Amino acid sequence: MKICQVERPLVATNRIPGLEHRHLQVVKDGSVSSVAVDAVGCKPGDWVICVGSSAARDAAGSKEYPSDLTIVGIIDHWPPKGATA
Amino acid sequence: MEILQVEAPLVCTQRVSGLQHVALKVLRNVKTGMRQVAVDPVGCREGNWVFTSLGSAARYAAGEYSVTTDLTICGIIDYWEEEAS
Repeated sequence: MKICQVERPLVATNRIPGLEHRHLQVVKDGSVSSVAVDAVGCKPGDWVICVGSSAARDAAGSKEYPSDLTIVGIIDHWPPKGATA
Repeated sequence: MEILQVEAPLVCTQRVSGLQHVALKVLRNVKTGMRQVAVDPVGCREGNWVFTSLGSAARYAAGEYSVTTDLTICGIIDYWEEEAS
């Protein structure tokens, strides 16, 4: 699982039917931006954990869901006390 | 899911039967300059910013699991400010 920070929601009107109407978020892992399916409902600035590969499909709702990155949880406190971001 | 820009359509007449008759596009990562080929079930145009699924999720995203791809365009991003390149 990856630790990412939510940047903002992503609007994509023209999408494949398999994606349904799920919310998408732009997340940042270091300097790399990617798009993740939001299965929990997070806000910009939240630190979240994201799963990849087949777990991403399952976490997004079904085995056939075409996601390769899904947000599965919001981290309560990050970075940990005493650590630098 | 990765964020990429559509560079051009890709014509490839001689292909394996697993690739069927799906449309292909050349996508470019503007930060790294790396080019990739993806299946396009959406119908995007040159210059569009898109997000893609990779791995087995790409096969579900293609609409049919029997398509032998590892990268599929999932949707066109409505608004994406171009990063300074």
